[in-house]
Amino acid sequence: MGRKITAPLTVRVRKARRGTNRQPFFLDVALEIPAGVTILFGPSGAGKSTLLDCIAGLVRPDSGEICAGGEKLFDSAAEINVPVHQRRIGYVFQSLALFPHLTVEENIAYGIHRLPPPERNRRIEEILAAFRIEELRRRRPAEISGGEAQRVELARSLVTEPRVLLLDEPLTGLDEELKDRIIQDLRAWRTARHIPILYVTHSRAEARALGDHHIAMREGTTVSEAQAELARTKLKQ
Amino acid sequence: MEPLWLSMELALTAAALLLLIGLPVAYWLAFSTWRFKFLLEAVVALPLVLPPTVLGFYALVAMGPQGPLGKVWRAIFGHGLAFTFAGLVLASVLYSFPFAVQPLMSSFEGVDRRLLNASAVLGGSPGRTFHSVILPLSIPGIVTAVVLCFAHTLGEFGVVLMVGGNLPGVTRTASIAIYDQVQSLEYGPANRMALLLLLISFAVLSLVYAVNRQARRSLWTPWAAK
Repeated sequence: MGRKITAPLTVRVRKARRGTNRQPFFLDVALEIPAGVTILFGPSGAGKSTLLDCIAGLVRPDSGEICAGGEKLFDSAAEINVPVHQRRIGYVFQSLALFPHLTVEENIAYGIHRLPPPERNRRIEEILAAFRIEELRRRRPAEISGGEAQRVELARSLVTEPRVLLLDEPLTGLDEELKDRIIQDLRAWRTARHIPILYVTHSRAEARALGDHHIAMREGTTVSEAQAELARTKLKQ
Repeated sequence: MEPLWLSMELALTAAALLLLIGLPVAYWLAFSTWRFKFLLEAVVALPLVLPPTVLGFYALVAMGPQGPLGKVWRAIFGHGLAFTFAGLVLASVLYSFPFAVQPLMSSFEGVDRRLLNASAVLGGSPGRTFHSVILPLSIPGIVTAVVLCFAHTLGEFGVVLMVGGNLPGVTRTASIAIYDQVQSLEYGPANRMALLLLLISFAVLSLVYAVNRQARRSLWTPWAAK
């Protein structure tokens, strides 16, 4: 069966902002991210999260263009800036953000409430089974563990079938066994949906297990291809 | 007991109106990035520091036959606004406005920004985010605002006296009745009315604290704690 060719995510943005230590920080990036998992490396403060926020629409770049699925999401010259809620970009944040007043099932249904009920229920059942969280459906976030919450968070984002997925260190703080299980879930999902996935991690194990492509960032910009290649080689060792 | 029922009616009407007006104002104050927002915040908080007689005086002038509110009211309803129940409601809404807006604003500002971002990236429009995330997580603030407005209006005296005077069955609220009774040395009835107001105020404040305590417990997520 032929796989549908997915348009890459293209990003060319510049953004000046105040960094964590109140020093000025400049993001200046030009990237093309094909379908599959692209690992984004870099030390803290390199601008990885700012880049993800720009793509998601949470931060407005000073200039540049962002294109996903063949649609222009941001273009400073043409004054295009698609609002966050219309971008159809999945984003799993570094820290958990489940809605505390909703059950696990309601959290997962949040992003697909406009679908007809049969389709919505089918998707919910599928994702609950894929992430093995069926037994948690009636519980609230306060009643589940951190690892379970992480899986729910991933499921909530993936069930919307985004055209681009951004994952900002989604497995930080989890034990190895749980990480392995979630990586398996993500691999299965990656195989089924051929979309660009930008995955920020410091973990070599995660990068090795999931990465199809690698990009390194430092001080707000991507480093040379040679350095990215070096990083990739190091990961393989 | 007529003055007490009138006070209750006034407090309930004012609290309902304050919630309706307070929600959009508090939302705008909580999330707007307008650089001169502080000016509107100061205007909203003014009744907290103004003597009730000052507020009552301006309200009376505005509602009078030559005042802008009075003229508009007369054009629509055919009678004046001062010394009427509607005038009392309007003055009470002005007087208790900060008691509605400030708890609502604090609640809205207290909602974790990560949840608002999560709602947006999941396709939630600003309206849906308000309805499905901000409002449910602000229930303690909403209860606080409604109860404080109710209790504050129930106990108001200066503004009511300035705008409404002392017309039995129309503008003679419980606090005015107590004042009247004390002036006439009728300590027995004054005491009964005062005790009732004290008990009602205590009950509604207890409700606020109980609701807030319960809400904090039910939403506590150990893995999200910093």
